[in-house]
Amino acid sequence: MGFLYPGALVFFALIPALVLAYLAKERPSRVTVSSVMAFRALRGFRRERFGGWPRLDWMFFAEVLILSLVVLALAGPFIWQRSAPLAVVLDNSAAMQALTPSGKSRFDIAREKLDAALSVEDGGGEISVYVTAPQPRRIAPPFITLTEARLALSQIKPIDAPNDQTTLENFLSNLASEARVAKVIFAGSNALAPPVPARIHPIAVGDAVANAAIGSFTLRREVLGAEALHASLTIANFSPETRTLELTVTGDGKEVAHAREALGARETATLEFPAIPPARIYEARLAPDDALALDNVAYATAGSVKNVSILFVSPTPADAAGLNSIPGVAVTARTPDSYSPDDLETFDLAIFEYATPKELPGVNTMLVMPPPGDPVFGLTVTPTAKVEIAGWRTTDTLTDSVNFRLLSLRGGEYFGTHPWMIQVVGGDGGALLLKGERGAHRFVATGFNPFPYLGRRNLPMSVLTLNAISYLAGLGGSSSGYRTGQPWLAPAGVERVILPSGKKKAARPGTLFTDVSEQGVYELVGPGGVQTPRAVNLADLTESDLASSPLLKVEGANAGSAVEPVMQKSSLSDYILLGIILLTALEALIVYRRRRLAEAAS
Amino acid sequence: MFGLPDEFTPGFLARLEKLRIRTRQRYAGLGRGMHLSPKRGSSLEFNDYRHYSPGDDFRYIDWGLYGRSDKLYIKLFQEEEDLLTYIFVDASASMGFPAGDRKFESAMLTALALAYVALASGDRVMLRVLGGKGGKLNPSFVNGRHRIVELARRLADLKPGGQFDFAASLATELHSIRRAGKVFIVSDFLMLFNSVTRGLGMFTAASMDLTAVQILGGRELNGQGLDGDVEVIDSESGERLRVSIGERERTQYRETMLRLTREIKSFCLKRGLHYSLYTTDHDFQQFFVRAVRDLGLAH
Repeated sequence: MGFLYPGALVFFALIPALVLAYLAKERPSRVTVSSVMAFRALRGFRRERFGGWPRLDWMFFAEVLILSLVVLALAGPFIWQRSAPLAVVLDNSAAMQALTPSGKSRFDIAREKLDAALSVEDGGGEISVYVTAPQPRRIAPPFITLTEARLALSQIKPIDAPNDQTTLENFLSNLASEARVAKVIFAGSNALAPPVPARIHPIAVGDAVANAAIGSFTLRREVLGAEALHASLTIANFSPETRTLELTVTGDGKEVAHAREALGARETATLEFPAIPPARIYEARLAPDDALALDNVAYATAGSVKNVSILFVSPTPADAAGLNSIPGVAVTARTPDSYSPDDLETFDLAIFEYATPKELPGVNTMLVMPPPGDPVFGLTVTPTAKVEIAGWRTTDTLTDSVNFRLLSLRGGEYFGTHPWMIQVVGGDGGALLLKGERGAHRFVATGFNPFPYLGRRNLPMSVLTLNAISYLAGLGGSSSGYRTGQPWLAPAGVERVILPSGKKKAARPGTLFTDVSEQGVYELVGPGGVQTPRAVNLADLTESDLASSPLLKVEGANAGSAVEPVMQKSSLSDYILLGIILLTALEALIVYRRRRLAEAAS
Repeated sequence: MFGLPDEFTPGFLARLEKLRIRTRQRYAGLGRGMHLSPKRGSSLEFNDYRHYSPGDDFRYIDWGLYGRSDKLYIKLFQEEEDLLTYIFVDASASMGFPAGDRKFESAMLTALALAYVALASGDRVMLRVLGGKGGKLNPSFVNGRHRIVELARRLADLKPGGQFDFAASLATELHSIRRAGKVFIVSDFLMLFNSVTRGLGMFTAASMDLTAVQILGGRELNGQGLDGDVEVIDSESGERLRVSIGERERTQYRETMLRLTREIKSFCLKRGLHYSLYTTDHDFQQFFVRAVRDLGLAH
């Protein structure tokens, strides 16, 4: 026997103090009687003492016992018990949805085998049930009986997300070396690389299955304002023989592209469709059907394919005039005096020229030569008569295709180091172009003025301006970059998300949205019920490769040694608390009965 | 009814009227009554002879005896007089505790009932209070049953209180009594036994026919209401005792109280005194009717 908190035993020293306090408080009641003669005759039990005197009957001792039990319970007593805690790990990743030649899915077979393995266990300890995707986790507190564990296993379903192999390997390794686990049963599509730790009992259901899959489905607009989109799809053939795959892309239910491609064994190809007509939701389907239906379909959305509305706030609103010449761009100019934060609700992005908002805007924003002393962004500004560009990030979206050598700048301002914005373009005196994200919004700050927009008359500056607008409007990027099992930040204004299954989940802008286990189109619902689609795909060819699942490298101590039961602490606190409650109830009952009897007698 | 306590119902009064005070010796009264007097008188009950003296009422000459003895003898008859009844009620502070037991009220009921028996029998009653608050009663005899209301009114003004020395107080009272008679002492007798015996002994020494009526509370006798650590305070002396009372101690206390009453009863019986114990948790009327003999009464 031991104690989790042996320090609490010092409270035993308080019991005599409590008894003394009881004595001090327990002053006798004063009763005037006709004569004390008869009481004087009882001198044998008359006691003169400090404050009062406990009647040393069983009630007093019962109360001292209750106090002692309370102190004992505080110390957390436990005894060591031999037990064989069991960890059951069931692979619920997307690959487990694959159908086997028997017609059953890998997941069903794994569960059957797991059930059979559990039926021979003696259940001499707790059973913890874990799933692997999207991240390994325990589905519930440990079960006491095998029946509970088997019932819990029967309710698990595979999800559309892949396993994180490295995390899974680490997780299994930790379990294999965990002292509190006697045995680990892992049932999954991946076999374990030898040597297999002694504590792990693997159940592999990863028999090779021929499969073809769509790897990625991306859409991009190559020219700002253009109607048509460019679609790229990666397809793979994981069968051991050459297969002709047929890909059909539909946009809002109408076929917009079709291709047929013969792929050799374990060959991958990228299909390009340069002029896909605009649609809200695109779906790509691969034929013929095979073992894993999940990766024969992929989705993409054209959420970014729309006109861009810009609020231009400047003391010189005329600078915005040139922007209206960009196809798909609509600009509304305001002076800082007439600007209100509520105005932003109807615009996709905002540009503040020589001005800054008084609070962080709720849309993506560009700051052009902000004045010094701005408290919202905290930019350190050093005005300069002539700014010189000294360097830039070559791989950045903002600097893409910009010929900085031809860029001629006059006066401007340098920025100091910023806490959350990074430097994209720099000069001798500091940063000239910063970008960063805050509160799920993108921000760009320039120390020079790219306006008015002159088009081809100042091509480098125009390209830079278009890059900035594209970056802030989310244009040109991948619209199918979201993968199952990978949480994303809920965009600004989103109140709830409708999952592909139709379930509705609340969302808070700027926080991670984690219900991303399903493949399909998620509807992001904003103010007024406006829905923005977002495609989430498996997009993991490693997961789709059902012919050669990688081996899991699991490390564990005592490889090859016998599995031994572990000693577990079994708490006695529950029993002690039960005893306290029973004793207290018994005392209360007896006191009540005594009072009733006294009342009846009087 | 009519100024009497509620216990004095017409039925109860009727039963009291059938009772009379019984004495073990004859006492001279102050007027004619129903009790034989040590005086010779004119009742129908023959007592003795004496030689005729001139002036004697020759109606009482026993002519038959004259014929046999040739001497004149006068027949003497027993005198029947009223009985002087003294009722002493203990009104010390102890009679007021425990308050719920109504000991003093019970003592007053007992005294009034005894007084009514005496008055209804044509005896004279002097009601005296030992201790107490509210003034002393008039130290004079009353007679006539209608005076019971007056006595009840006087008793109602009394409140128990104060401390008194039983023996000394009775000695004072005895000194003021000029004629012997029947004495009732109604008290809880919760005092030193020596004081009780001295007090009662003085009356027996003065040829008084004495009845001791002990009034105890039901709760008082059983120690009810006392539990755990208790500091008991003597209602008269103010003496304090700290005691722990449980079931065992309560039993011991009760046995002690009963032993004290037995000692008083034993003393009374040995001295030829009447003794009766009334505990207030019993019905007063039933007690009085059943304890007629112990109270020194007779039908």
